[in-house]
Amino acid sequence: MTGPSGVGIGWRPEIAGFVAELPGLRFVEVVAEAVPATGPLPPGLAQLRERAVTVVPHGVRLSLGGAEPVDPARVAHLATVAQRVDAPLVSEHIAFVRAGGLEAGHLLPLPRSRQAVDAVCANVARAQAELPVPLALEPIAALVDWPDDELDEADFLTEILDRTGALLLLDVANVHANARNRGADPLALLDRLPLERVAYAHVAGGAEHGGFYHDTHTDPVPTAVLDLVGALCARQRPPALLLERDGHYPPAAELRAELDALATAAGFPAVT
Amino acid sequence: MTDARDGTQPPGDLTGLAERQAALVATLVAGGPPPPGFAPAQLAATRAALLRKRAGEVARHWPLLAAGLGAGWTTTFAGWAARRPTAGSLRDGWDLARALHDRHALPPAAAEELAVREARLRYDGLSAPRPRRLPAVGRAGGAVAAQIAGRVRLLRPAPRPSTVPPVGDDGPPDTAGSASWISD
Repeated sequence: MTGPSGVGIGWRPEIAGFVAELPGLRFVEVVAEAVPATGPLPPGLAQLRERAVTVVPHGVRLSLGGAEPVDPARVAHLATVAQRVDAPLVSEHIAFVRAGGLEAGHLLPLPRSRQAVDAVCANVARAQAELPVPLALEPIAALVDWPDDELDEADFLTEILDRTGALLLLDVANVHANARNRGADPLALLDRLPLERVAYAHVAGGAEHGGFYHDTHTDPVPTAVLDLVGALCARQRPPALLLERDGHYPPAAELRAELDALATAAGFPAVT
Repeated sequence: MTDARDGTQPPGDLTGLAERQAALVATLVAGGPPPPGFAPAQLAATRAALLRKRAGEVARHWPLLAAGLGAGWTTTFAGWAARRPTAGSLRDGWDLARALHDRHALPPAAAEELAVREARLRYDGLSAPRPRRLPAVGRAGGAVAAQIAGRVRLLRPAPRPSTVPPVGDDGPPDTAGSASWISD
C-alpha cells in the first residue's frame, strides 16, 4: 500500500475501460459504498490492484457531521473496503447526509459552531477507532450557509483537524465554489489552512446555474479551478491530485486532456 | 454505541444540533417550513440541485423510464419528488412509474421496464423490493412480463402510439401529456 501520488482519477464503472488504459496511473479513488463487502471486487478495480495502483475508498454516506452517532455498520463497511483494496488511507466528508429519519441524498454543510465541531469530532473518533488506516476529511461545497456561524471556515476546519488528528482531503473545486458563492477570496482560505496535512486534493468541474456556481462533477474543470490548483501547488504541492467525474462523461480525448491539464498545473508527470 | 460509553458527550448535549439538522433536511426534501435565518435563495438552489442529482440517480436505475420521458424527465421527476423524501433510487423510480401508469402517462418502453421489474421483484410500495420466489407475471400499460425461476421474459410489448387505443375508462390516451400532468 503506497500513499496517493501524482495525478489520479475517481474510478467509476462507466469509465472503467478508460481508466484501465491510462499507462501512468498510480492512484484512483473509489466510492466506498459502491464496493461490496464480500464477493468479487468490480472487475476493473481488481485489475488496477493487480497493477499495484493505489486505491483509496471514499465514503459519501457516513454522515460524520450528523448530531447522532455514526452508524457502526457504515464504519465497518468502510473498514472492510479499505482492507479489501489494501488502501493506505480512507476519506470522508465534513458534512451530514441525513437527520430526523430523512435522507438528504447529498452532502449538507454543518453550522460552523462549537457544538458542530464537537459532533463531528466525536463521530470521527468513533470511526477512527474502527478503521485500519488513517482517515482524511474533506470540506464540502455548500450552496446554503447556516445563519449563525461562530467560526470562519479556516478556524472551523483547523480545529476539527487538530482535535481528531485526521488528514485533510482538500477539494480545490469546493474552495472555488464556496468562495465564488460567498463572495470570498479563495486564496485567503488557502493561506490559512494547514496545507501540510493534505493527503491529496480533489479537482472537479462545475457550472454556473441560477446565480450560483454548482460543483456538478459533470462539467469540464473551469480555468479558475485550474488556476487555483496552481496557487495551491505554489504554496504547498499536495502529494496527489484526483479528478472527480460523475456523469456526462466526455469522449476519452477530452478526459485525457483534463488529466493532462491537471498534471501541467501541478507539475506532475502526465498519466495519459 | 452510546455517547456515554464513549465518554465524549453526555447524551442530549447535541439535541439542538440534531433538531436543526432535521429541520434543514425536512425543508430541503420533504416540503418542511424553512428554518429561521436561512437565505431563501440558497435553500431554493439547494433543493433544485438535490432534485437534479436525484433525477440523475433514478435515471440510472430506470433508464427506459427516463428515456421515455425524454426532455421532460428532470421536470417530471422533480415535480413528483419535490416533497417526497427519497426511498432510494430503485423505489423512487418504481413509485413514479406506478404513479404515471395510474394516470395512463407511462411511455411504452417505460411500461415494459416496469412490467419486467414487477415480474422479478415483489414491491409493496412501503419496504425494499424482494425477489419473487414463485413464478409471476408483471403487467403495466399493456406490457406483460413473466418470471420463472428468476428468469424474466417480456411476453408482450406495450402498444406503441400509432396502434394504441385509448386506455382506461376516463383517462387520456397513453400518448398524451406524459410529462405535463405533474410539471405545473
